[in-house]
Amino acid sequence: MTEPDDLAILALTLKVALVATMAIVPFGLALAWTVAQWRGRSWVKVVIEAILAMPLVLPPTAVGIVLLMLLGKDGVAGRWFEALGIELVFTWRAAALASAVMAFPLFVRSARTAFEEIDPRLLGVARTLGDGPVGVFRRVALPLAWRGIIAGALLSFCRALGEFGATILIAGNIPGKTQTLALAIFQRAQSGRDADALRLVGLTSFLAIAAVCASELLSQRRGRPFTA
Amino acid sequence: MIHLGFRLAPNSRNDEAGSSFTLEVAMTLGARVTAILGPSGAGKTSLLEVIAGLRRNAVGRVVLDETSFLDSRERLCVPPERRGIGYVPQEPALFPHLDVGKNVGYGLRAAVGADRLIDETTALLEIRPLMRRFPRTLSGGEAQRVALARALVTKPRLLLLDEPLAALDSELKGRILPYLMRVRDEAKIPMLYVTHHAGEALALADEAVLLRAGRVEAKGPAREILTPRLLAAVHGDATLENIVDGVVLEIHPEAGTAVLSPTGATPSDSPTGELTLTVPGAPDLKVGRRATYRIASEDILLLRSKPDGISARNVLRGMVLDTDAAGHDAVVRVETSGIEWRIRVTPAAVRELEIETGRELWLAIKTHTFERLGFA
Repeated sequence: MTEPDDLAILALTLKVALVATMAIVPFGLALAWTVAQWRGRSWVKVVIEAILAMPLVLPPTAVGIVLLMLLGKDGVAGRWFEALGIELVFTWRAAALASAVMAFPLFVRSARTAFEEIDPRLLGVARTLGDGPVGVFRRVALPLAWRGIIAGALLSFCRALGEFGATILIAGNIPGKTQTLALAIFQRAQSGRDADALRLVGLTSFLAIAAVCASELLSQRRGRPFTA
Repeated sequence: MIHLGFRLAPNSRNDEAGSSFTLEVAMTLGARVTAILGPSGAGKTSLLEVIAGLRRNAVGRVVLDETSFLDSRERLCVPPERRGIGYVPQEPALFPHLDVGKNVGYGLRAAVGADRLIDETTALLEIRPLMRRFPRTLSGGEAQRVALARALVTKPRLLLLDEPLAALDSELKGRILPYLMRVRDEAKIPMLYVTHHAGEALALADEAVLLRAGRVEAKGPAREILTPRLLAAVHGDATLENIVDGVVLEIHPEAGTAVLSPTGATPSDSPTGELTLTVPGAPDLKVGRRATYRIASEDILLLRSKPDGISARNVLRGMVLDTDAAGHDAVVRVETSGIEWRIRVTPAAVRELEIETGRELWLAIKTHTFERLGFA
């Protein structure tokens, strides 16, 4: 098999990271909003926080092996996907899924902080003006938190770009199929092709710096007061 | 008619200063406008929030005109969006991402008649020129009027208004009272009004409630409740001022004055048969328009006989209703042709002038002690 060129690797990486980010956002928003608005017992919040932090603190390979056990041919989730006719393990979809799991906490944290910065009186007033919880979310919370949400999405995107440990376990390192930039750098370095690896390092650095800069710019402009 | 009977346990999440006690309320409010006074942290804001449905941990009953909003025994708690209650919180809490026009229209659902309603309301509250501005560019008084308009256009069954403590220091022109008087007289929506101005409460409300440490300390007709003695006991910083609202009758540019016919005055023995007051002229005063003034209670002179050759433009004959001593002050209530004045004097003055209920006295008020409120 001929090795795909750098741009093909870049394209696959972008596809994986984009799909991962798009998968994260709806679930992440729902979870971030729920946690930010949580008025029940505080230990529930702590437990959710702890579970959420797992991908941040565990070795990525540990997350990868759990995912593999869940999604493999004999795994619980693997059987559902098989029944649906979706092939997952050792495809780019698995790479996207691994990236999504690893980047999820970053997005939720960022979005949650943005939601928690909203003056609760605004949310209360919106309720008295006839909006239910969904309306308040759509018409007040989202427009006021959007900077934090986009910043969080960009951060997750960056995390997904560089995902390695979980990806290699569940998606393998198949050139042209599941080999993203991070995996390709590893393979080239292993086979002593340092110059080839460095080119990819340059590419991935450029992407990451651009995304982090955008994310920073967005968060910096968030300090605006909420009322006159 | 509002029936309230509930307990609200102190809440660790509540950041309101000093509300570490249980708010416990059992009362029925039937007036068109009820003023709620009390020291900071007495539970005034929490009371409004329970009625609005924003404090879900309240236990008890809240009933507005036969509609139960909260009935813990029936496990009923109607969410705020289905209560039809307008709420203007302390900080006006305008949506910062929307301009004034969109803020005002936020709660409007039905398109039918919406434009007319917005037109009427924004005219009433004089915020039309602000419609394209964003909340962060508004003054405190403007923001409060926008928040009031936003609540009014939803045609609420009840309006809850929470005046910030900072309004005590706010400029006269920023006061919202004159607009609330218009709302009371024209929109005719019942109001619960948290204020720190005893004078404003007297001018606006029929009924008053004094709250302290989560309990109702006194409740009744505003004139009876808002006595200096009661206020001092409950509410050290409540200010006492005279508020006069009226219609401009004449304007005398050469004299720098205008003539006001105060609302609520009865025919008097003045030459015109009406009680009128001479107030300072202002460029935007127009004959036939309403204007509201504040006269500090210490700025009125009391005289035993009709003065002769005095520079004060307002000399009124009145009768003493009562006197009330509170600390180093005595406050004399005097009625002149249906208008009630509160005049702060020293206890020594009360003795020397032999001020007592039923006595005839003369009031002298300089034109320039009339300070206009809430002009746009």
